[in-house]
Amino acid sequence: MAKIRCGRILGEDIYIEEGDTTTLYFINQLRAYQVVLAALKALDQDICHDGCSLPSTVNIVIKRLVKLKNDLEASDAAAEKKKSLLSKIDSFLADANRLPQDTSQTCRKSAGECVMGSGCFATGALNLIKEITEPKAPKI
Amino acid sequence: MQTEVLESQIRGLNIVLGALQAATGEICKSCINLEGAKTKVGKMVKKLGMDLDAASICCEKTKTDLQTRIDSLSKAAEDLQVAEECECQKTAGNCKLGAECFVTAAVDLMKLVQ
Repeated sequence: MAKIRCGRILGEDIYIEEGDTTTLYFINQLRAYQVVLAALKALDQDICHDGCSLPSTVNIVIKRLVKLKNDLEASDAAAEKKKSLLSKIDSFLADANRLPQDTSQTCRKSAGECVMGSGCFATGALNLIKEITEPKAPKI
Repeated sequence: MQTEVLESQIRGLNIVLGALQAATGEICKSCINLEGAKTKVGKMVKKLGMDLDAASICCEKTKTDLQTRIDSLSKAAEDLQVAEECECQKTAGNCKLGAECFVTAAVDLMKLVQ
């Protein structure tokens, strides 16, 4: 079956066999997390570092990455591809774990520092994941 | 324009540029949407600089600090590595995440600033 390129994650071009929607699902998720984590790293340099929304978002990302890892392990993706993608999830998890996770800090809006309006950059960054609409999650 | 608004826009652009920087390491590097986003963000940064010039900020240090941050954003926008020949990666058959686009959504984070 023909191989097609469908992403570039951590500097590696990723190819799948045409029609392999299970592997494509995990690749698309990782493509999104790559961008989300970059946005969260930028937020960590911001006043959000001392707030509660960034840590809360980071905790959600960590939970979702752990679930993604478990789902990938349990999936019927090809062993070699699975190994490669699992190592990328581990790398993202390591990145996420370096970001703030203490949610006991005061929201920067409540502290009067964040004056951007009712929106929140951390939540917005997380919502980038919603840009992925295909393929549906495989049944594990 | 008020200092608070300028400050929030600078914060937003810093995050948008972080996300776009990650996209340059992706297949988006050869995507027309990233090319467009780079142009759009570049214009946003330029407008921010003009808004700062026009703003009535009494404290010279505050103004200088904001200008320094805008200069840094301008450099980050210029440094975004986009391929010389771009085409939409969905059209090229490489991007298969559905109808939406990370790059466009990343730029839209600026809409959170009111």
